[in-house]
Amino acid sequence: MLDPSFLFAQSLSGLTAAMFLFLIASGLSLVFGVLRVLNFAHGTFYMLGAYSAYQIVLWIGPGPGTFWVAALGAALGIAVLGGLIERLLFRHLYGKEELYHLLFTYALVLILSDAAKILWGTQQKSVSRPPGLAGAFTLFGVTVPYYNLFILLLGPAIALGFWFMLQRTRVGRFIRAAALDRETLGTLGVNVSGLYTGVFVLASFLGGLGGALVTPVRTIVPGMDTEIIVEAFVVVVIGGLGSFWGTFLGALIYGQVLSFGILLFPRFSIFSVFALMAAVLILRPWGLLGRPLK
Amino acid sequence: MVVRAFLVMLAAVLALPLGAEAQKPIKVGFPMIMSGPGALFGEPAAKGAQMFVDEINAKGGVLGRKLELLVRDTKGNADEAVRVSRELILKENVDFLVGTLTSAEGPAVSVVAKENQVVFIAPIPKTDQLTAPDKLHPYVFRVAATTTMEGRSAAEIVAKWPVTTVATISPDYAYGQDVTRAFVEHLKKIKPAVQIVDQQWPKLGEADYTPFINAQLAKKPQAVFSSLWGGHFVTFAKQAKPLGYFDAIKYNFIGVGEAASPESTKSMGKDYPVGIWGNSYDAFYWEGPPAHKDYVARLSKYLRDEYPSSWAIQGYIGLQFLTEAIRKANGTDSDKVSKALLGLTVDTPIGKQTIRAKDHQANRGQLYGKTVMDPKYPFAIMKPIEYVDPTKFID
Repeated sequence: MLDPSFLFAQSLSGLTAAMFLFLIASGLSLVFGVLRVLNFAHGTFYMLGAYSAYQIVLWIGPGPGTFWVAALGAALGIAVLGGLIERLLFRHLYGKEELYHLLFTYALVLILSDAAKILWGTQQKSVSRPPGLAGAFTLFGVTVPYYNLFILLLGPAIALGFWFMLQRTRVGRFIRAAALDRETLGTLGVNVSGLYTGVFVLASFLGGLGGALVTPVRTIVPGMDTEIIVEAFVVVVIGGLGSFWGTFLGALIYGQVLSFGILLFPRFSIFSVFALMAAVLILRPWGLLGRPLK
Repeated sequence: MVVRAFLVMLAAVLALPLGAEAQKPIKVGFPMIMSGPGALFGEPAAKGAQMFVDEINAKGGVLGRKLELLVRDTKGNADEAVRVSRELILKENVDFLVGTLTSAEGPAVSVVAKENQVVFIAPIPKTDQLTAPDKLHPYVFRVAATTTMEGRSAAEIVAKWPVTTVATISPDYAYGQDVTRAFVEHLKKIKPAVQIVDQQWPKLGEADYTPFINAQLAKKPQAVFSSLWGGHFVTFAKQAKPLGYFDAIKYNFIGVGEAASPESTKSMGKDYPVGIWGNSYDAFYWEGPPAHKDYVARLSKYLRDEYPSSWAIQGYIGLQFLTEAIRKANGTDSDKVSKALLGLTVDTPIGKQTIRAKDHQANRGQLYGKTVMDPKYPFAIMKPIEYVDPTKFID
């Protein structure tokens, strides 16, 4: 019954889903790891990235490079928006009670999603696959769309780039230091406030990019922000909040559990994922690769 | 002469407050999803209702009184729908309720209508539960199709296809389960040779359908029934098409839940899996009865949209039934209006519609057809397109 090509197809689809989730969850995890704020509005950045990509495609019109310009433009636009939000609003939250973080970021979700509704209405929007990656090829009897292959390659590339930046560069060292002890870093003469803005901009960029890249395979609708934030949250809880490789691992596990879960419990596809999250929370509340909070 | 003129004036002045009393608008509460993903249908339905209200008021209203529509956001949540409906009745003193969208909201608001003895017309919820014998009460009516009507209409179409192995893919909640059950049961009844080889149940709002698509293809069905609606269908189709899903089943695919609505085909453009079958409540390009063309022209102007929404008709018909019943009852008493609605036939833009006395349900069929590209439009349309009257398939 279960022939190998089918199992291969399921694992590939799980991997693709994992790469999308990683793109989005990594920003959420980064902001929490460094700024110690759980940014519920991260899913909204993802949604705005998707809408912006749609808008730019509409402006430029069809062409071979349109989608890529739109994706990059959308990600940069969301990065700028993130920067402004951090500079003007977010910074008043640092060191405050978590309840304020929750209230503020949730308010941001409501305001930004209403703004999106005013700008783009409630009708579903769709973006085509970029012409160069519209087709598909067959591998071991499995049809793999080129666009999925691109996502499969992009995910690890971004993960490695990220890791390199965090481990091998001066800025990366500061970011890691800021995650551990903000005050000491400040007394050493590092511009912590600028660093925080930078981290937030980077996370917003990733969220916006995730939203833009998802448009060829999903529909752009109001409410896509709250759907993704729940999934991203599950991923970071499994992997460990603030842990970079934990997020990657969490996304991989999420993708595979969802893909194969429907074989075990066809009627409860989402159950497997939440069962896993519950198990992780009971056995390792700080996540698979996370560190217990002091 | 002067005395008479004075008396007339006096009478007019004295009558004024009474006249104003008679001129008080008839208030209609319209609880509807106006935010989040459901607003996709809720917003145009509210606009269709508002267009009807504006048109009738321009003609002097009904029984000399204007209609006033009070739209409230239910946020797609049954509790919120109940809350705003109560508020509309108790604080705004609305005379009637028309509205709700999901199959959770409809039955919940029906209870409120029963408690307060206010006529409630549901224009969109499809669940059979709303008008099931044990839930039926004098004040609840529906002008939407039911899951039984929709599932059976689709089964009638699939039964004509030269296929024997059929699969289903539907969102795992009340609507998806009910309509799929109605489809499967009716298909097995009218074509016993058919085998259901696979059933996939992604959660409502699933973002990644690929695992479900792979699993379904592995069972090699010849035809597929789907009740993924709105954006969910668009996401599904965008992921299924490059995987060769529609080619594998030779486009023997029928999407209910309005998968062939102009909104869906328009948003996908050339990415739409052209060649599949689908349905819709309305389509601006449908020839239909003579009144339809005029309705589309008016709606197009009202919404400032060249290709106006297929959902506006549901709000429009809901208000049209209510207005006709008020006229027939010659008043706004809910008990009288409720009686007037039983067996009432109304000439709507989509043709004659009748609310059956036995279950308070309109014979609301839908448009079905195979999708093709038409050089006139940058998106797929149903052609030939047929209004399927469900009366023959329901009890």
